[in-house]
Amino acid sequence: MNSCLLCDKPLEDQPTWQQLLGIAKTTVVCLPCFNKFERIDNKIETQWLDSVYSLYAYNEQAREYLHKFKFLQDVALAEVFTDDLRKVLNDSKKRIVPIPMHASNKRKRTFAQVDALLDAAGITYENLLQKTTESVMGEKSRAERLAMTELFTVTADIPSNEAIYVLVDDIFTTGTTLQHAARTLKLAGAKHVEAVTLFRPTGKK
Amino acid sequence: MADNEEIRQFLAGRIWLHQLLPFPQEAIDEAIEQGSIQLITGVTTKTTWHGKHYTCNRCHNENQAKFTVFQCAQCGAACAYCRHCLNMGRVSCCSELVIWTGEEQVFPREHRMNWQGNLTPAQQKATDELLESTKQGVSHLLYAVCGSGKTEMLFQPIHYLLKEGKRVCLAAPRVDVILELLPRLQVAFPDTVTEALYGGAEVERFDAQLILATTHQLYRFHEAFDAVFVDEADAFPFTAEATLQQAVKKAVKPGAPIHFVTATPSAQLLAANKKLGNISLLARRYHGQPLPEPRNEALWNYEKQLKKKRIPKKLLDWTKACLDKQQPFLIFFHQIELMELAEPLFQQLDERICAVHAEHDDRKERVQLLRKKEIPGLLTTTILERGITIPNVQVAVVGAEQTIYNKGALIQIGGRVGRSVPHTSGDFVLFHQGITSAMDEAKREIRKLNHTKVPL
Repeated sequence: MNSCLLCDKPLEDQPTWQQLLGIAKTTVVCLPCFNKFERIDNKIETQWLDSVYSLYAYNEQAREYLHKFKFLQDVALAEVFTDDLRKVLNDSKKRIVPIPMHASNKRKRTFAQVDALLDAAGITYENLLQKTTESVMGEKSRAERLAMTELFTVTADIPSNEAIYVLVDDIFTTGTTLQHAARTLKLAGAKHVEAVTLFRPTGKK
Repeated sequence: MADNEEIRQFLAGRIWLHQLLPFPQEAIDEAIEQGSIQLITGVTTKTTWHGKHYTCNRCHNENQAKFTVFQCAQCGAACAYCRHCLNMGRVSCCSELVIWTGEEQVFPREHRMNWQGNLTPAQQKATDELLESTKQGVSHLLYAVCGSGKTEMLFQPIHYLLKEGKRVCLAAPRVDVILELLPRLQVAFPDTVTEALYGGAEVERFDAQLILATTHQLYRFHEAFDAVFVDEADAFPFTAEATLQQAVKKAVKPGAPIHFVTATPSAQLLAANKKLGNISLLARRYHGQPLPEPRNEALWNYEKQLKKKRIPKKLLDWTKACLDKQQPFLIFFHQIELMELAEPLFQQLDERICAVHAEHDDRKERVQLLRKKEIPGLLTTTILERGITIPNVQVAVVGAEQTIYNKGALIQIGGRVGRSVPHTSGDFVLFHQGITSAMDEAKREIRKLNHTKVPL
């Protein structure tokens, strides 16, 4: 029998109409666990990004989720948001670009979290960006983050076309990473760059 | 060499992830070269005709649904990891586990036992039998009713083992039990290095001779103990999870005995010990009074009534009677949702009544308040079914026909009643909508135990 990926309680194994019609919210985690994620659908615009779309609030449940996914390296958790990501990213006009990890960090973690999320959802993507430093945002202060120079380089030529580039990352905090990535893409020739992140802190505790 | 000594103290008897060892890489490499540390593959893969079969070498999990395969950037191949023991650090096909194969750890043989209490003749007899089995190295089941003073009966056998320079583990499925036992054992064995292991515990002495651990923590051990005592051996999740029982087996040295202590042994446990070990039955509580027998009361459609914000009449009368007589009470619910529905209704009777369940961090404080009579009663899930003593407590089970109330659970719940002098009896009522065989069996078993002759 299958059990919830987050709380390990057994999932109901009776098929439901929602599942059959493909409108079930969740099939790999139980509903109580899934409902603890707070949907915000937050959309903003920044200097380099034409839009940043964040799906969920970075609440306690999100913190725990990312901890398990990234630090305990539970790759299976990539399955949790497949439906959400598919709904947002499945568009033939969009070219999906995940925020990359530095090669040595990726080897340490054994997987790149954004790639894993997209792989699980079956979304095709292009690794157009490459990380230039090994340093990680989470270990830096705000001032340090803002003072950073180039974080990324492009790995291929970007034709100056009408395609919409969509950057994907797990979380949007100060926005430094996404800003850098968007700037790199735009300077390389991209006209329209958007971003989608799973989580974003909402200020309220 | 000094490094080696430190590594041995940490690692002897344990199985650990190579990359999580808290020692410099050079020291570890040196120990590996000397043959003091052996490397084991984290997850073993066997190819069968119907695909791959994985086994986790730390927790011995073989449930294939608990393995996830992914494209690993470290080993560059499809790699499986075990989700069962993930919280202890991920074990995968390309990670390495280490065990200590060097010089064995030597433990002191000088131990004081600081315990002046007296055992009743029945307790003494059971203790002697357990001690005898321990000396012979045979598995023993101590089948002792709720409130018979089980912990005290373990002191003499544990003392014997410690004096032999043996390493001993006292394991229990629930962390509450471990936290309750630790101070008692520290007082009883003041010279012994004792350490409690549970999720989130801060460990000071990895080379402790006497270890108290939740059964989950035993995944971290490998042929470490000369004897393991499993307290409350029938409690969830120990009985439900085969890997936990496996964990106990791999934590003892080959051929070392595993002793079980419980008030409600499963048929399987009884059969196993009849065949291969010894059993002592202790059918009387330490105060010599019989166990309270359950009383069945029909309570039809209790769920519906609670949903309509009404406490069913019989339950209401029972609660009011307890309040009038100022007797503390526990009301067991089978579902958290139902209990939370009922909580405000009971608070209309007395606003101090509150609910506890596994996710409440302050459940210990609330039980303490009940003991001090600062609150009249608690609503609870099965979390309080064992390990707690409240003088003169009255107990009701709402929905005793539910499947989670098996024979063992009902006997344990009844075991809360009449534990201490002078209140050696009390009401134990099962509100039900249809009597199940588990309810009958529990009643029959309690009667049988009460009619068993005991040595005086």
